[in-house]
Amino acid sequence: MNAPAIPRAGLARLAFAALLAVLAAAAQAQPYTTPPPPAPPRPLAISAPSEGKLGNGLRVIVAHREGVPLVSVELVALAGAEVDPPRLAGLASLGAALMTQGTKRHSAPELAAAAEALGGSLDSGAGWNSASISITVTTPKLDAALALVAEVAREPVFAPDEIERVRTQTLDQLKVAYASPGTLAALVAERLAYGAGPYGHPASGTPESLPRITRDDLVAVHRRTFRPDNAVLILAGDIGADAALALARRHFGSWPVPAERAAPPPRAAAATSGPSVAIVDMANSGQAGVVVAVGLPERTGSERAIGAVLNSVLGSGYSSRINQEIRIKRGLSYGASSVVDARREAAFFRVAVQTKNESAAEVVRLVQEEIDRMMAEPVGAEELAARKATLIGGFSRSVETTAGLAVAIRSLVVANRPPAELKTRIEQLEAVTAEDIRRYAAAQLGPARRRIAVAGEANAFAAALKAALPNAVTVGRDALDLERSDGLGRR
Amino acid sequence: MIRGMQRTELVRGVAAVLLALVAIVASPPAASADTAPSAAPLKVKPIVYRERRLANGLQVITVETHTSPTVSVQVWYHVGSRDDPAGRSGFAHLFEHMMFKSTLHLRAEQFDRLTEDVGGANNASTGDDVTEYHEVVPSNYLETLLWAEAERMMNLKVDEENFKSERAVVEEEYRQRVLASPYGRFFNGIAPASYLEHPYKRPGIGSIEDLEAATLDDVVAFHSRHYRPDNATLIVAGDFEQKQLDAWIDKYFGVVPKPSAPLPRFDAKEPPWQSDRTARITGPQVPLPAVAITWLAPPTTSDDAPALQVASAVLAAGESSRLNQSLVYRQRIATQAGFNADLRTGPGLLIAYAIGAGGKSPGDLAAALLAEVTRLASTPPSAAELAKVKTQLVTAAFVSRQTPLGLGSAIGEAAVLEGSAARVNTDLDDLQRVSGADVQRVLRRYVLGARKVTIEYRQQEGAK
Repeated sequence: MNAPAIPRAGLARLAFAALLAVLAAAAQAQPYTTPPPPAPPRPLAISAPSEGKLGNGLRVIVAHREGVPLVSVELVALAGAEVDPPRLAGLASLGAALMTQGTKRHSAPELAAAAEALGGSLDSGAGWNSASISITVTTPKLDAALALVAEVAREPVFAPDEIERVRTQTLDQLKVAYASPGTLAALVAERLAYGAGPYGHPASGTPESLPRITRDDLVAVHRRTFRPDNAVLILAGDIGADAALALARRHFGSWPVPAERAAPPPRAAAATSGPSVAIVDMANSGQAGVVVAVGLPERTGSERAIGAVLNSVLGSGYSSRINQEIRIKRGLSYGASSVVDARREAAFFRVAVQTKNESAAEVVRLVQEEIDRMMAEPVGAEELAARKATLIGGFSRSVETTAGLAVAIRSLVVANRPPAELKTRIEQLEAVTAEDIRRYAAAQLGPARRRIAVAGEANAFAAALKAALPNAVTVGRDALDLERSDGLGRR
Repeated sequence: MIRGMQRTELVRGVAAVLLALVAIVASPPAASADTAPSAAPLKVKPIVYRERRLANGLQVITVETHTSPTVSVQVWYHVGSRDDPAGRSGFAHLFEHMMFKSTLHLRAEQFDRLTEDVGGANNASTGDDVTEYHEVVPSNYLETLLWAEAERMMNLKVDEENFKSERAVVEEEYRQRVLASPYGRFFNGIAPASYLEHPYKRPGIGSIEDLEAATLDDVVAFHSRHYRPDNATLIVAGDFEQKQLDAWIDKYFGVVPKPSAPLPRFDAKEPPWQSDRTARITGPQVPLPAVAITWLAPPTTSDDAPALQVASAVLAAGESSRLNQSLVYRQRIATQAGFNADLRTGPGLLIAYAIGAGGKSPGDLAAALLAEVTRLASTPPSAAELAKVKTQLVTAAFVSRQTPLGLGSAIGEAAVLEGSAARVNTDLDDLQRVSGADVQRVLRRYVLGARKVTIEYRQQEGAK
């Protein structure tokens, strides 16, 4: 087990060679003083997935990839936390979590045991615009895995005991989230950006909303959401289109379409009547969590590409501007980054940084300056090329795995985009110009649209922050009420 | 649980890969659903690699695959947090960050220009026994990256200003991991509370005080002591042509001089634990109490390692694992429960832990954890339960080996942490051979028949 990998005879020869190498090194240390240039590139080709449809309306999208005997499965229903009723934040999320916790035929432990015996794990969850069930298995287990996915989608029972268990667990997880400055700042920023709109409430629920959710609520939201004419089955990996369609028919062909019509999704609107800057005071917090956010309106296809390249320049990736200024130049954080988090046609843009409490106001200023710079000056040609390369390289690597490929297709489907964009995505990103970025930033990221949340030990930064942003409101962590759409303190 | 610190969280590092592998392995009690598998699990094809050693002592392992036009270059230095100098806890990790600063022929952060700016990525991580650096780049940049890794192996040249700003970054990393995370103090406190003497006792992230005490001279000394070709393993996995690659490796790494000073030897010992101990840790934001129980584990090279891995999977991997089913699902006394065979080149730890629910005390959680471990030691797992663990392991291997980075990391773990690259292929067979009796035997030996440390974590009085 522990034997040396090189045989003894080889070692003797190497020892002699080593002597020569040491002499050679002494004579010519560091002979190569510049990086050798690259060889000609070998471009990556991503194929467009194929698509079929069952009689009941279920779309089936297949990305065939040979080589590794794995298939990743995603069953996506096209409604999520956006449809949570006003006082029932967390409904979609709780409902999705409960799908795998018992069906008409199997208990929660039996379902987990069956999925894990196939080598994967059966995961379910809700996003803002979708709810999904996923599993990755080796090809011989695919048939059995699809049977489990179909059972969980079609026959969940929402047993009262399971509801109570998952509800209690979720409430415990919220206690941990509310003790984490970065998580709390993100929740508050989302509320500030969207107010009473469909994306304003915490998708995981609040300590007040979760106890209000009844079994009837869960059954109703499941019936509305998981129906074949509102769902998409995605298979990525070592499976051909015809075989995939046959499997889909076997497991989902008899899934009936309910008589009532599917409800259209709500339209997103940033409703920003509340404060624009909030300080959440967390006594003894080890750091401050800083979030600067903007709710972006509906986007066209080219605006999606512009937003992605803008984000790559500004805050996504190690060498983005925000990480350069905050981490690399000033040592103020372990990592400062931004994301454009898609919301069907719209998106939520946010910068997130954790820093020592004393630096929070400086970090807010630096983030704002970098956003201002995106609005004022076009990105230089060299920087733009580098940031596009980072973005395109990251996208290419993300689809190297079957699970990554399935997630990329899911993102397109949920955003109402054709799955074939997988193939054209790189060209779309390449086409973005510096002026496109400046114009989009100027139109969308102005100071009036920014919402800022800082959670941490307020006495270390509140005075400095209020000097720069006099409209900041302060709320104690224990008085925070994320149920409220217009403000943050308990009445 | 954190096994190693990374340069940045933006990219998945080896530590994350390791965790994912552990997390995906699962094993519930009997499969009763009618969807239970009938098809036998697929065999993972062995990784075909080439191994050689340069005259200066550098170990070189290469794996050619053309599934994507990318290649991963990795250098694993046989140095880790265990090698932190006295009074400098956290130094090996701080040093890892310095490797991205200037060298004789590279500006600070030029590694990012050679990777990110051309569509690639880089990261690094520091564990107890190893520090690894990796890049993934479009394969036409392979030669450039080989040159750059050789350059920082031989010519690191950090200035005072870069040193201080990066040290501040690492201090923020400490605050983020340990101080700002509700369970940071708990997980960071497990090793210090467990070991009596071994350098594994010191947290790899260090302390603000020790980081502040570090100097640029320490950086120079650490590089010349540990960063040498005969203390490193170069791994290249992905899209390359073997002959061309070998020539480039000879050209750029062959000229790295082998120091005349002997290779530093590491041979610290942990004395036997003579009694059970209890440690208590508090934090200012502890929403739910937690507990960990630790036992000393044999090294990664032990014949008992595969059985301990299977035991930990039976106990803790997946929703249907025993600890989750018992503590989280049935008894509802924990929000999460785990068991980790944290094996190292020296004495590692077996760690059982739980974060509470429903107002249970650390004592209640500890009793429930011990009851489940004892039950497995006294009654063998069922055939179905063992079959499940093994299917999960095979699937996890397929999943992690889809990319050049995953392939290279699997080789690196075997070659550097387990002492032989061949283990990358034999480990899976060894795991398949573990029997129920093996699982019981190792739990009796290392858990029931051994001393333990209990670490309790609670809200600090009057702090909230």
